[in-house]
Amino acid sequence: MSTVLQSLSTELADAVESAGRAVVAIHARRRIPASGVHWRPGVVVATNHTISRDENITATLPDGTTAAATLAGRDPGTDLAVLKLAGQKVATASLRLDPPPKVGELVIALGRPGPSLTASWGVVSRVNGPWRTWQGAEIDSLLRLDLAIYDGFSGGPLIDGVGRVLGINTSALARGVPVTIPVATVERIVTELLEHGTIRRAYLGIGTQQVRVPESLARKLELKGDLALLVVSLEPGGPADRDGLLLGDVLLELGGAAVSDAADVLAQLGGEGVGKPLAARVIRGGQVKMLQLTPGERPTSRAA
Amino acid sequence: MTASVTAGLAQGLAAAVDELRHITVQVRTRGAATGAGVLWNGGESGARGLVITNAHVVRGDRATIELSDGAVARARVVARDRKRDLAALEFEPGRAMAATVVRDSPLRVGELLIAIGHPGGLVGAATLGILQATESAREGRAPRWIRADVRLAPGFSGGPLADATGRLVGVNTMMQGNLALAVPAAAVEAWVRHSHQPVAP
Repeated sequence: MSTVLQSLSTELADAVESAGRAVVAIHARRRIPASGVHWRPGVVVATNHTISRDENITATLPDGTTAAATLAGRDPGTDLAVLKLAGQKVATASLRLDPPPKVGELVIALGRPGPSLTASWGVVSRVNGPWRTWQGAEIDSLLRLDLAIYDGFSGGPLIDGVGRVLGINTSALARGVPVTIPVATVERIVTELLEHGTIRRAYLGIGTQQVRVPESLARKLELKGDLALLVVSLEPGGPADRDGLLLGDVLLELGGAAVSDAADVLAQLGGEGVGKPLAARVIRGGQVKMLQLTPGERPTSRAA
Repeated sequence: MTASVTAGLAQGLAAAVDELRHITVQVRTRGAATGAGVLWNGGESGARGLVITNAHVVRGDRATIELSDGAVARARVVARDRKRDLAALEFEPGRAMAATVVRDSPLRVGELLIAIGHPGGLVGAATLGILQATESAREGRAPRWIRADVRLAPGFSGGPLADATGRLVGVNTMMQGNLALAVPAAAVEAWVRHSHQPVAP
């Protein structure tokens, strides 16, 4: 029989075995535990949606022992959570930041929904560009996977053929479709959560809809483009409401940049934007008006 | 991967599948193709031929089996265990054929597994996957199932699940969501040893 087939089989099992030494089970919800990856010494990365309690969290380590873990912070936006695991001898994951995963690359998803390690294999089916989740979190390049999901998939690592970690798997970011949050994003979120405990995200508390400004008005107001954003909802007492933005205002520019869809607005916010005023150019009652909008910090449990 | 690795892999896989087809039989009851079976003993040293399949594949006492070389034989159910979902069929082989070799070393999560079956009347179809998990070993207790990340369809029942060297790992039995469950080859071996006693016709 083929030695190539046998070599592949052995290498896959080797990759699973070595990467599996850094995969733990996280007990923080009812029923089936989820997975976590020992990312840095004493730091375990898991998924936010599988951690339903903030206290009494335990981890089952690869050697079968149980250890207490404490929640260092969580980010619903990227569905990541960071836990601390003190004084345990667990291998640290070997991360692959470069080269980036390619479409068609053979990958394995690991999980530990209890004492035993689980694996499923498949390929990377898509590599997205920078992408914002519905809660405004930025993910550098989300990976879509063609593989089967088993219990404990979320919070487990996606690994390559030699056992290096490509990211953290979750089934909660894309309506049940298996995706992987890439290493670069996980690194950024882990650093921020360890420092601040939360991910600060600026927000205005508005809902908008793209509209086309009538040509005559666009000419009269000397607009560069004719697409703009109609303010269709306003969070009562939210940052934009406090700063005097009204329902029905048409947002043309924010922070000096033209805005024609919601992503343009999010691009002006980010984590550093909290408390920094942005100049807003709006059409109100047929006239152009300038306003100062100061983004607030997005409450973690709320959308918009 | 270089092209030569991919080509070697494709060739190796085709060769492995070809070999596994020799130990895979079709099991029919009342003329209809109902499932697959593993050629446990091909009639070496003058013994009767023995095929292992799932109990749910052969409900009656008799079945017709078709070997990979096209030979058709009438077979008799000589042992059945509904709890383990196993059945043993005896037949008179026309000529001696290679029998199954059982894998005896421990399985590793992530290793390649090949399943052969006859889904939808497609004879000798193959699917490739990996071992999904090993059941947590409890003292003195053999695992109940081999858990494979392999897509099985009706028609794979009773057929072989083998490793990359072609050794039998289990008898494909059912899907549980995405997970394929097979009766471990060691459990089949023990069952054949203990319960394969000819029943009165």
